[in-house]
Amino acid sequence: MRKFTKLIGAATLALASAAVGANTDLDIDRQARNLWHDAILAGYQSLATNAADFSRAAQNYCESPDQASRRNAEQAWRRAFLAWQKVRFVDFGPVENNNLAWQFQFWPDPKNLIAKKARYLVKSEDGVTQELVAQSGVAVQGFPMAEYLLYDKQMNASDKALPATNTCELLVAVADHIAANSDTLSSEWQSLREHFLDTDQYSDATIKAGMAGLEILEERRLAQPMGMRGNGKRSKYDADAWRSGSSLMAVEASLNGLRTYFLPGLSLLLDNSDKPALSQSIKRQFDEVLEHFPEMRAPMEVMLQDDSFAQLQGLYVDVSQLVVLVTDQAAVELGVARGFNSSDGD
Amino acid sequence: MKAMFRPAPLALTIAAVATTGCANTPWSSDNSEPATKASVVEHYADLAHANYEDALITAKALDEATDRLIANPSEANLLAAKKAWLAARVPYQQTEVFRFGNTVVDDWEGQLNAWPLDEGLIDYVKADDYQYELGNAGATANIVASNRINIGGETLDVTTLTPDLLADLNEIGGSEANVATGYHAAEFLLWGQDLHGFESGAGERPATDYGQGADCTNGNCDRRAQYLDAVTDLLVSDLEWMVDQWAPGQSGNYRAKLTSADANEAVQKMLFGMGSLSLGELAGERMKVALEANSYEDEHDCFSDNTHNSHYYNGQGIQNVYTGTYQRVDGSEVSGPSLSDLVAQVDPELDVRLNAQLVASMQALGLMKDKAEASKNPMPFDMMIAPGNAEGATIVNGAIMALVEQTGSIEQAARELGIEALSPDDAGHSF
Repeated sequence: MRKFTKLIGAATLALASAAVGANTDLDIDRQARNLWHDAILAGYQSLATNAADFSRAAQNYCESPDQASRRNAEQAWRRAFLAWQKVRFVDFGPVENNNLAWQFQFWPDPKNLIAKKARYLVKSEDGVTQELVAQSGVAVQGFPMAEYLLYDKQMNASDKALPATNTCELLVAVADHIAANSDTLSSEWQSLREHFLDTDQYSDATIKAGMAGLEILEERRLAQPMGMRGNGKRSKYDADAWRSGSSLMAVEASLNGLRTYFLPGLSLLLDNSDKPALSQSIKRQFDEVLEHFPEMRAPMEVMLQDDSFAQLQGLYVDVSQLVVLVTDQAAVELGVARGFNSSDGD
Repeated sequence: MKAMFRPAPLALTIAAVATTGCANTPWSSDNSEPATKASVVEHYADLAHANYEDALITAKALDEATDRLIANPSEANLLAAKKAWLAARVPYQQTEVFRFGNTVVDDWEGQLNAWPLDEGLIDYVKADDYQYELGNAGATANIVASNRINIGGETLDVTTLTPDLLADLNEIGGSEANVATGYHAAEFLLWGQDLHGFESGAGERPATDYGQGADCTNGNCDRRAQYLDAVTDLLVSDLEWMVDQWAPGQSGNYRAKLTSADANEAVQKMLFGMGSLSLGELAGERMKVALEANSYEDEHDCFSDNTHNSHYYNGQGIQNVYTGTYQRVDGSEVSGPSLSDLVAQVDPELDVRLNAQLVASMQALGLMKDKAEASKNPMPFDMMIAPGNAEGATIVNGAIMALVEQTGSIEQAARELGIEALSPDDAGHSF
């Protein structure tokens, strides 16, 4: 969700800093950005490390495929995917270049484009190279494609199932692509440091990113599969990462990421605003939400069943309260207003 | 369509560009009364009314053309029906700017313009090329070939295909891909599946799919004809309803409510409609997703390869609302007090810039249209988004960037006009 802060000039920013109050506004704003930059850098570095591990594990599995190496590859995929979930809320900066965010995770995919692209690529007679993956569009280039190859039931029951040659080549190429993108993202974020610290509008952008990340989590990643939006039908296919049963683990990771990488900077601004108590309320609400885990690390499909649905509703309610605190109260206190973004429309 | 959404950003890093260019002459320049929010809202309703009237006029022509095709299923009559469908899209796509913000439109439009659809719900499809929505129990129901269909355990009698029955079948089984009605259902019934992928060519349904007796191809021609008849009838009655909602001088219709409420609310809806269509919907869902995923499943008018026109007239609708002008299908002009006039009163420089950006986005969409309709080596949208088509990607990206730029100015215009919150009240939520 791209906001247009860069286009808007200083007006929004003036509002943002006016709300903070004291003479040290700019210092505090800069300190908040310092916290955010360091935290997000740690998140990106963790993604890069885990993605490199996954790339090696995929390679190892395809060189000597057995149960143990397969399990290693799957576990490495999950660790890297969850590392991405933690920083997924950052929707500005280098992750915008070349659609990196879409490359990491093309979602939602209601028409199962992933399966269509995979079927096409594994039939390729010239083999699957990194170049081919680089040219094949965002549906091919990220975690969902690797998940499809590792976990999809139909795929695994077919004659192209791993470790078939082309399928292995595709898995390794995708894992390499993810690893290379993660490195790029981490180093470009590092290079952004001075500009990020010097540019007031990045405070606004970061707060909006945190708000949007939470709203997406509430509405698209929970309410939608729970049948609380649109057509009222519960469907695991509306969740992400349903093939590996990781939808709710991913939710947990995103919440953890927001608490670790987003909350400290936000708290600093709130502590220096007219409503310092908000900061404590938000911290407590993050704790409440995360208390649902690890019990809730089950596949979405399981949690959508009648006998466990109430638990899922409990999580949803706590997340909704967190959204209200962050988007309705904190953002308003800090003078951050929502503009058009790419989730408008359908 | 409510479900399509991608949380990832449009990749856009743009410096604010100082644009110069010719602004449309504000309406008030040759009128003594300066535009007010109230007069602008009143004219907005006039514009919507004229636009929906044109959608209705052209839908009636489509209905008549399909009736002729059904009575006499010749290739000439099929071609005439296709032409009528293409003509009907011109005004309708311009109305989409009224959709976001005006819930009366948004709640209604799913029956007219929902996409993408799992067309196997309606009629035969070639299975290898048919990718339907995950978990959609109705994706292969084939209503044309069945008197009873079973969707997710529910059995339905579809022996007689009437407009009301089709309306009930729309989004059946809770899947938004189960599009039983509207322009795209009619499009599929006229063109058939596009089996060409990224290659040149659209759907190639033969006129004999409506043949009588032994002339019938692909079976069930009488039911297919009944379907086409019902779906075009429903389109006409749905549009009649919407024309009434915007008609002047009536109490209790949507226009009466809109124009009697606080004018700021309506101005917010106007700007919200422009910005949402411009960025999230047209630049995002309809172009960026299709391009970056190289996905012709995300092509808007995928059976007819008319996507470029759907995009072009969406863009035109955005410009219409800002400038307060609309060219009717009979060639006459509608014009009156506009947002442009209001913005010019508070920030003339912004008005000049936004007008120039609207012109630029129409040029970028015009380039897409020209390329798609070129007499030599035409490149329709599904070819533009093919992997490795650098020229096509440049054209699509040019349109995306132009729309993104103008959205920034629309946001600024909202702020200048004192509209603080641009978020939809509760768009797309039903809880």
